[in-house]
Amino acid sequence: MARITAGITSSHVPAIGAAVDLGNTQDDYWKPAFAGFDWTKEWIAKPENKPDVVILVYNDHASAFDMNLIPTFAIGCADEFQPADEGWGPRPVPVVKNHADLAWHIAQSCILDEFDMTIINKMDVDHGLTVPLSLMFGQPDAWPCKIIPLAVNVVTYPPPSGNRCYNLGKAIRDAVESFPEDLKVQVWGTGGMSHQLQGTRAGLINAEWDKKFLDDLTADPERLRKMPHIEYLREAGSEGIELVMWLIMRGALGKDVRELHRHYHVAASNTALGHIVLEPKE
Amino acid sequence: MKQNIHEYLAEFDDIPGTRVYTTARARKGYWVNQFAMSLMKDENRKRWLADEKAYLDEWPNMTQEQKDALLARDYDKLLDLGGNIYFLAKVFSTDGKSYLQAVSTMTGMSVEEYRNMMLSGGRSPEGLRSKKKGY
Ligand SMILES: [Fe+2]
Repeated sequence: MARITAGITSSHVPAIGAAVDLGNTQDDYWKPAFAGFDWTKEWIAKPENKPDVVILVYNDHASAFDMNLIPTFAIGCADEFQPADEGWGPRPVPVVKNHADLAWHIAQSCILDEFDMTIINKMDVDHGLTVPLSLMFGQPDAWPCKIIPLAVNVVTYPPPSGNRCYNLGKAIRDAVESFPEDLKVQVWGTGGMSHQLQGTRAGLINAEWDKKFLDDLTADPERLRKMPHIEYLREAGSEGIELVMWLIMRGALGKDVRELHRHYHVAASNTALGHIVLEPKE
Repeated sequence: MKQNIHEYLAEFDDIPGTRVYTTARARKGYWVNQFAMSLMKDENRKRWLADEKAYLDEWPNMTQEQKDALLARDYDKLLDLGGNIYFLAKVFSTDGKSYLQAVSTMTGMSVEEYRNMMLSGGRSPEGLRSKKKGY
């Protein structure tokens, strides 16, 4: 049977993608940001840790979804997805290959579990999805695993609640565990941490709040489930709301987890860069 | 726990210097944002850069105020007029500008000053969480 073997979260700042694509990862500005991913790159390359499939939770930044269509939860079910052209041409990264059988299985299973998923086939994937892949896998000719894109609306209000996200994670875990193929599946939650990309409050960073969020992602997800949107907005900036997506990852891992690795760095462009690697305990 | 939608929305107005992208803003900015989406195609970017006013003429549903703000790259104004930063990113990316460069224009700081603030830990949330409570 398929099983969830680990959860990873990471910010997905577009400038990180640009640094990778332009070969700037070792310059003074970027070096400390990328250094915190060395551990993960080594860990994930080991055969015992390497996932067969990553369920990659991210938000589309007005790339595949414009104002015509705003799905709260959309799961990519096609065989492959191309990198999006976000205004400066598509990133020079590999095509994203899906595990479509598992994706369709998750869609069906979640709908039956009362999560009304939107199924999407034709979709280009933007920096929200491709930047975390670059951070974890570097610059290979092909991504080393299958990737199921799971897009969450965190742009037009209201986005889903943290509790809803956590519960979707639980439903995804049930779906994965009822899939007959023997697969190692990871769930990644992306976006965050504190950042605000607008107005006179732009550039807001709340390191203390972010660190408590990282602590409780491991130790006290019950607190995070109850956190209302307004707290994310006040404390972590208007774009800090992306952190609700991390709770989908956390819900999928089960009650108790072990923290394997953590990295926090200010600043990557406008954003506090956060990254954690968790493993289910049982 | 179900929240009251009116209370939920009202709280957003209490955050200093912040326009949360509510459905009211989304409706107001619909055409600005759809215009921005058109710049995801290279042929449209070329036409836009070649003659911005002519390109805007193809968007009759946009208000003149919105068009003027686009021509002026006044992102702060565009947010007031219903634009959303992820949509507007297509406009500044077409200009070859990064998020950091575009965002800094809304802060009253130079790009250099803003970049340095970010490198020294970013803007503190102290006093910027709530207008009413001032914390
Ligand atoms: Fe994002």
